[in-house]
Amino acid sequence: MRHEIICAGIGGRGVLLASTILIEAAIKSGLKAVASDEYGMSQRGGSVVSLVKVGDFASPFIGRENGGILLAFEESEFYKALLFLKKGGLALVNTRAAELPPSIAGLLEKREITCRLVDGDGIARQTGMFQSANMALLGFFAAFGITPFTKEVLEETIRSRVPEKFLAKNLEVFGKGFDAATKMGAAGDRRTDIV
Amino acid sequence: MHSREDVVIGNQAIARGLVEAGLEIAAAYPGTPSSEILPGVVYFKNMEGSRIHTEWSTNELCAFEVAFGAAAYGGARAACFMKQVGLNVAFPALMRSREKSIEGGLVIVSCDDPGPQSSQTEQDTRLIAALFGIPVFDPSSPAEAADVAYHALTWSFENKVPVIIRSTHRVSHARESVPLYHPGTRKVILKEGHVAGAGRKLGIVASGMSCSLVYDVIEELGASDEVSLYKVLKVYPVDDALGKFVDSMERVLVVEETDQVIEALIGDARKVMGRRDGTVPSAGEITYDIVRDILSRVLAGEGGSARDPFVPDGGIEEALSHVAVVPRPPKLCPGCPHRASFFAMQYLWPDAIYPGDIGCYTLGISQGAVDTCLDMGAGVTLAEGFYDAFNQDGKLVPILASIGDSTFLHACMAPLYDAVKNRKRFILVIMDNSTTAMTGMQPTPQTGITVDGTATRGVAIEDIVQGLGVNFVRVVDPYDVPAMIRTIGEAFDRLKEEPLPAVVIARRECLLLTKGAVKDAGYPADIERDCIGCKSCLKTFDCPAMSFDEASKKIRIDDSLCTNCGICYYACPVQREGKALKAAKKAGTP
Repeated sequence: MRHEIICAGIGGRGVLLASTILIEAAIKSGLKAVASDEYGMSQRGGSVVSLVKVGDFASPFIGRENGGILLAFEESEFYKALLFLKKGGLALVNTRAAELPPSIAGLLEKREITCRLVDGDGIARQTGMFQSANMALLGFFAAFGITPFTKEVLEETIRSRVPEKFLAKNLEVFGKGFDAATKMGAAGDRRTDIV
Repeated sequence: MHSREDVVIGNQAIARGLVEAGLEIAAAYPGTPSSEILPGVVYFKNMEGSRIHTEWSTNELCAFEVAFGAAAYGGARAACFMKQVGLNVAFPALMRSREKSIEGGLVIVSCDDPGPQSSQTEQDTRLIAALFGIPVFDPSSPAEAADVAYHALTWSFENKVPVIIRSTHRVSHARESVPLYHPGTRKVILKEGHVAGAGRKLGIVASGMSCSLVYDVIEELGASDEVSLYKVLKVYPVDDALGKFVDSMERVLVVEETDQVIEALIGDARKVMGRRDGTVPSAGEITYDIVRDILSRVLAGEGGSARDPFVPDGGIEEALSHVAVVPRPPKLCPGCPHRASFFAMQYLWPDAIYPGDIGCYTLGISQGAVDTCLDMGAGVTLAEGFYDAFNQDGKLVPILASIGDSTFLHACMAPLYDAVKNRKRFILVIMDNSTTAMTGMQPTPQTGITVDGTATRGVAIEDIVQGLGVNFVRVVDPYDVPAMIRTIGEAFDRLKEEPLPAVVIARRECLLLTKGAVKDAGYPADIERDCIGCKSCLKTFDCPAMSFDEASKKIRIDDSLCTNCGICYYACPVQREGKALKAAKKAGTP
């Protein structure tokens, strides 16, 4: 099994926590995995990309149009990361928007990319958590059941990673993300299978 | 047998290897991408109950000499950690140390920054090591870095010479599962030599993260029948087997970061492709796409089997050209107190000369309040040079140098005394945020807090500045923008009266220290409501929470980034605060 995953967002919003949870979930499941924390110079509000590769890879880098899964924690960072997503890939985007600009929608159609828009910030806010869109998006992603990233494995990893004080709330947001995906049948009607 | 595995970044893996090898003394100055090593040592020494002395040094020379003293004369197993340009600061001691037999063991970890991503320049530590005959390792992954660290300290102790470990930000900040051993029992695997492929015509020689990249690209291209990959781990002295490998191949491609080191050591210009003949780009980080491109081209040129070359889908760029993508260049964080400092500096004299320095405050360049970025401490000495150049022509122009508090203590005390002694007239703004923010919040000497949290005696910057002979020293809260502007104006008036530099200490804590909370200031920014679309705030204030909404032709504030500091009102010509500043400037009473 091989996955090349791109986590893209901006500083201070838990992109690195999300990618750390993904790599630890893979390793917990007995798989080889390597990740790269990339960040620019500024601490908050700057572009952050973290790459996770699962399988027999030596480097944590993803080539243009090679990534299978794109988790975008911010809409404009989604656009920048699109270069790295392969034909037939899966993209989950945290945004309040109900649809994407026509040029992007057309591109995704042409590249057979399955894309879901998730109001992760809205989901997090329902639980009084303003900075936990990362958990909402991870929960939403769990609904796709892509091995090894099932709900159970991701939940267990969150438990081992998130400090006790924030754990209950984070798990609640994660659960709400999962439910949102299930409710809208997001994981169904996939254009292609990612395994 | 190892006791367990832990998912860690490369810098923590290096720390782990050293702790397991019996490290006793560790000193470091923080600098991306090396900053996590020393905290890693603290973490693992606590885990293992090891007795290791750890300290943040005031600069890299201090770190090197503390470690060298402990190792060379004290017989300890010691290590020091720094970024690649930090090694330059430690250079005088490094040069002498290589000639000296040490009693204990000494490992120097120097982390390179290909790109560079957060340094003033690229620089290859391996080149310095090879030039001056110091053994140097170039690990290719976090797990290997742990083994190399263990091996290097053990080897140094046995052979009585210092050893350098060169990491790069891609190894230091990669994350993977690393086995943890009981101290003293690590089973080290040093993988060097022919590691992949069975081709006889084209040999690829690579080290560090470049080697890992080449490995993945060979897999993607399905080229393992056509090429052979030779991995170099110990770059100097290089293993004899490398020469034999090169001899056995028709052509050899060398992929390494960031200079020609292995390529120069091989030396065979007719056979070798690399940076010298332009096959590999001469500067910048080697990315996956670059390796894929090089390998595809070289394989096609060497008569490799026909394969579909990778053709990028230009449709992606085309589609993106219709979307407004926020560029997000590096900027000071929203609410950063020193965005206000830079605003005040450039408000008084938009055309002043602004010698800048290294660290967060290099970012003042986007507000037009930083003109130079040479090296740590150069903000002050460049200001001296600028002063002399204008003074010879009989002119006194406003020169406003800026520097952070940690950098001031690292490299500026001698330059500031130099300016006092040599009668230089300029204004130095020391931006004091009480921490070393850009590299991850290491405590500065002012706080007196050590790396493991122990409280010791702190020092006050204003005392140092006065002690160096500066008469005009003022401490201002940069959020009080009118006071900041007034004080800078007074400082310039003083320059006309006495031949000495004037120092303004802008003091307010980094928002990362206060967890984003803004003290005693601010109200939610509703600058959007009255906005006239002049965009002057974008130019002079440049907060990441601000953007220009093309639809409404107004500034838009991103609520999730805005810290409610309220300082942007000063940068807005239609708000009460901005109007008052303007009126005061017009009246000549800023």
